[in-house]
Parts: sequence; C-alpha cells; structure tokens
Amino acid sequence: MNFELSQDHRVLQSAVRDFVVKEIKPIAAKIDEEHMIPDTLVAKMGEMGFLGSYLPEEYGGAGMDMLSYAIVVEEVSKACGSSGVLISAHTSLCSGPIYTFGTEEQKRKWLPALNSGDTIGCFLLTEPDAGSDAGAIATTCKRDGDDYIINGSKIFITNGGYKGTGVVFATSDRSLKHKGVSAFIIDLQSEGVVILKNENKMGIRGSYTTAFALDNVRIPAANLLGQEGQGFKIAMDTLNGGRIGIASQALGIAEGAFDLALAYSKERKQFGAPICDLQAIQFKLADMYARIETSKLMTYKAACLKDAKKNYTIESAMCKMLASEAASYVTKEAIQIHGGYGFICDYEVERMYRDAKITEIYEGTNEVQRIVISKLLLS
Amino acid sequence: MKLLVCIKQVPDLESRFKPNTEGSWFNEADLAWRMNEYDEYAVEQAVQLREQLGDSAELTVLSIGPDRVVEAIKKTLAMGADNAVHIQDPAAATKDPWQIASIIAAYAKDKGFDLIFTGMQSQDRGSAQVGVTIAELLGYSCATTLVGFAFDNGTVTAKRELEGGIKGVVKLKTPALVTCQLGLNIPRYPTLPNIMKAKRKEITALAVADLLTVEPLARTASFHSPAKKGGGIVLEGDVDNLVDQLIGILKDKTAVLR
Repeated sequence: MNFELSQDHRVLQSAVRDFVVKEIKPIAAKIDEEHMIPDTLVAKMGEMGFLGSYLPEEYGGAGMDMLSYAIVVEEVSKACGSSGVLISAHTSLCSGPIYTFGTEEQKRKWLPALNSGDTIGCFLLTEPDAGSDAGAIATTCKRDGDDYIINGSKIFITNGGYKGTGVVFATSDRSLKHKGVSAFIIDLQSEGVVILKNENKMGIRGSYTTAFALDNVRIPAANLLGQEGQGFKIAMDTLNGGRIGIASQALGIAEGAFDLALAYSKERKQFGAPICDLQAIQFKLADMYARIETSKLMTYKAACLKDAKKNYTIESAMCKMLASEAASYVTKEAIQIHGGYGFICDYEVERMYRDAKITEIYEGTNEVQRIVISKLLLS
Repeated sequence: MKLLVCIKQVPDLESRFKPNTEGSWFNEADLAWRMNEYDEYAVEQAVQLREQLGDSAELTVLSIGPDRVVEAIKKTLAMGADNAVHIQDPAAATKDPWQIASIIAAYAKDKGFDLIFTGMQSQDRGSAQVGVTIAELLGYSCATTLVGFAFDNGTVTAKRELEGGIKGVVKLKTPALVTCQLGLNIPRYPTLPNIMKAKRKEITALAVADLLTVEPLARTASFHSPAKKGGGIVLEGDVDNLVDQLIGILKDKTAVLR
C-alpha cells in the first residue's frame, strides 16, 4: 500500500497549481460577483487540457487517468468552485458517457470538440418532478423516421448556458418507468432548444445552472447513446463516475478555505498573541485537517479503483458524501476562525462557504449516497 | 543545432527552512521542491529557439541531483525539451559551484552544444557562478543577466540589464552560453497533453562519479540560522530618571550623541 502520488502525478499537480495560482485565483471573486467564468479562462483551461484530462489521446483528450482528473478538479476548486464544477460536469457527465457508451462514430464526431473545450458539455437528466427519483422523468422521445422528437423540460443543468453538447434523457413510455428511458447526444444549438433561465444561486455563481424547454427538438437517430431503454443504466453509471469529480471539487473548496484559515490564524493577534496559540482555534484546525485528509484518501481511492477497472460504486458514494460534508464543515469553521472578517465579502472564505453547500446536493444528494452505500452493504 | 538547458530543483520559497543537524544544508524533510525560477525563463527561451529552428535543432535538458529532480526534468520535457540527462547525485546540494560547473562541463565537452542556457542564479544558493564557469571551462563566449534574446544566422543578440534601468546589447558567436534573468519571457505552462507526451521522451541517467574529478574550491564551513538578536531594553522609573538613562545609553552604545 502506497499513499504517495507518483512522480508523474506530482508533475501534473504542480503544473495545474501554477496555472490556477496565476490564472484563476486572481479572478475568482470576480467570477462569483459577475456570475460568469470569462470565455478567455474557459479557452485557457481547454488549451491546458483540463477539459479532456482522462479521455484518450485518439479523441483529442490528454490520455491521463482518473486520479489525474481528480487532481485537476481539486486544484482548480481550491481557488474557484465554479471553474471546478465546469470541468467536472463537462468531463464526467458529458464526455464520460459518450466515451463509455458511444459508438466509434459517435466518439469521433463529438469528443474532439469537447476535449479541446471548443464546445462545453452538460447532462440533462433532472426535471421539475424528477430529481433524486430519476426514473420519474417526463420528457418524451418519439421515433419519427430517421429522427427522434424530444419534448419536455429540464432544470438545474450545470453548464447549460453554453448551449454546447449535452447528454439528454427522455422516455418513450412513462408507464415503463426507468425501463422506458433512453439517452441521446444533443446539440443544444438545435431548433426547439430554449433556455428558460440561468438560475441565480447561493454559490458556484460563476457556473451556469440552466432551465431548458425542449420543444419538438429533432435529434438524428444516430445520436441515440447505447440502446433504447438503456438510458437509466447510462445515467446511473455516469453519476457513479461523476461523484469522483464532485468529491474532488468539494475537497478543493475545503482545502482552499483551510489554507486561508490556517494562514489567518497565524497572522491575527488577539490577547497579545496570534489566535493559533489558542487551543480553541488549534482544535478547529485539527478537526478541519482530519476531515480533509479523510476525504482526500477516499476520493483518490475511488479514482484509483476506477483506473484499475475495479468496482468503485461504494467508494465513489462515500467520497462524495465525505468530501462534501467536509467542505461544508471546513468552510464554516474557516469563517469562524476569521471572525467578523470572515463574514465580509472581501475575505474569500465567505464565497467558499456558499460554494460548498451545493456539493452536498448535486449529482445525488448525500441522502441518496447513504442509500447507495447501505444498499451495497445489505445486498 | 544542439541546444542545452541546465536546470536546478530548489526548495519552494514557502517551505519551512531549517538547517540539518550536520550544519551542511537544509533539513530536506521540511521542504517542498520546484524548478528554480530563473531556470524557467532559460527553459522557455531554449524552447522558443527550438521552435524557431524546427526539427534541425535538438534541445536537451540537464539536471544534477537525487531522484526527486526528475520531477523538474519532466516539467521541462513537457514544456518542449526533446530529451534529458539526469546526473544522479544524492549529495549535489553540498557541492560548490565549481564542482557543479565542472560536472556539467565534463558532460558537455564532447557533445558539441552550440548554445547553452542557464538561469542567472539559483534561488537557494544564489552564487550565480555555475553558468559562467561552464562557459569558461568549455571556452564558450558568455553573456549574463539576459532580459532579451534573439538568434539569427549563428549569432546571439543578447539584451542585458544594467544599473539604473539601462539596457546593453551584446552579440555573441556560437558556441555560447547565456544566463537568463527573471522577466526574459513568459514561461509557458506544461499542458496535460504535453505532460503525457513527455513520458515518452528519453531521460538518460548518468552517475556523478563518472563526471566529477575536482575538489571543491569553496567548501561550506557552516550552515546555520542567524543568532537571535536580544530583546529591547525596557527602561523604568520616573521621567527624569528615564531621560538620564536614555541619554546614557545613546552616548555609550550609539553614535547619535557623539
């Protein structure tokens, strides 16, 4: 058992870190205030290969492994949770299922533009009445000659505002429940795709969270992903991998807040000494760090298991659950250590606290993660 | 055209610096490592020249040190060097600049490098001797502290930074060696695809014992944290007494009242 990153992973980590410190950290507050990640940053992340890290080189990816992907999302999220989830949703939820379930032709057609960041990917599963109960989706697909016609609405679609490429889920027969669901690759520039709104949110404000109406959208039959009726399986498999991305994002947010809190505790003087001399603060730092390291071990383990092509379902559910709860806890304590200053928007921990909360909710609420874990324990 | 860039891995400036128990070097257990910042500019300039010259050029990166320096070598390969030489030396940190330069010169002397790039100095030792000493040992022309670089038709045009912001331009015929100042260019980030490609590039490992033939000229005598200065003097008593005490101290211990 070896808990050290390999030399190659360290080379990657330090390259990503340098990029993040120079290109993302200085504008993270602006991204939050303006509710937008600048296109120039998206393009730079594309050039760096952040948007195709674990996809094979033959499809324009960087050809790295899942652990490398986790490191990229983690390092980016240390500075900016919005940029972290852009990478995570794009890679895990769009390029991922196209690579895993797509035909050779589909991979060649869609993956190069996704991996370079020329188009941004998203995952259209959630609907107003189908969140955790994903089998209850009401968006319909109907075969019409060489096309499928899609009708319905989708909400909370991360990266939706880019109107790039999506993986969309629709049912041919609601009475079949999850067995009626199929998955399609959708070009969101297609006629009938309408953005209803980009949500105004508590956190990850630079990330698009989009509501769509799909009004008689024609999708070529060649865009069917997998087989008809296989959609639910594709969705569950995709979310399984996606949780490693969200865990990495949460881990990064927690680490970013911890670094600031640790530094602040050494600078801030009260009662004639730095507050880190106070046991009340020392205990907070210990609790925060222990939760971060626990989350990191589980996240990296899940990534390594996926790389080794072993079953990682329980680990990915656990790492998402642990890391997101660590993120909420650590960012909350980071504010407490900053005292009144932590509540002021000029101090970054305030943003991190807001960014952390969603990680307990999306890509499977932590209640769903507990169902996944306990089901596997009892099966 | 054959190009060489010499790089050093140095402690990250945010590390905790403490001397080791032998008093010869830092306690490495507390250190994180990264490429010497000056060398990043040297690498970028070398890669830009490699791109300017196309496939007729070959860029080799060289570093001396223990296994950990391969991390800095791999970064350079990902930035665009073609191949690498790792001179394995667990004790590189305790060698003086003369020995380091001699090792590099011993390696380079029969390789026919047309142009060698180094950083102006290292961030840890800061001797700024290695580059110029290599040039001297190899009989190369040399320009230091570059803030501008151009190459055309066998001639290097080097812009140097002088006192008061004045710039000087010198021209050198190859073979030559240049040492690079911060701000010479904008070092590129190694991209993920290039980090992957770098894995397929060759790193030749050589033993330092085969290249080192000289004794140090400047042996490290001690390596220690500065002695802590005593605390201030607190004067007590009534004002008249305080003033007398203060004047006494200023007369005895400072030049203020002489």
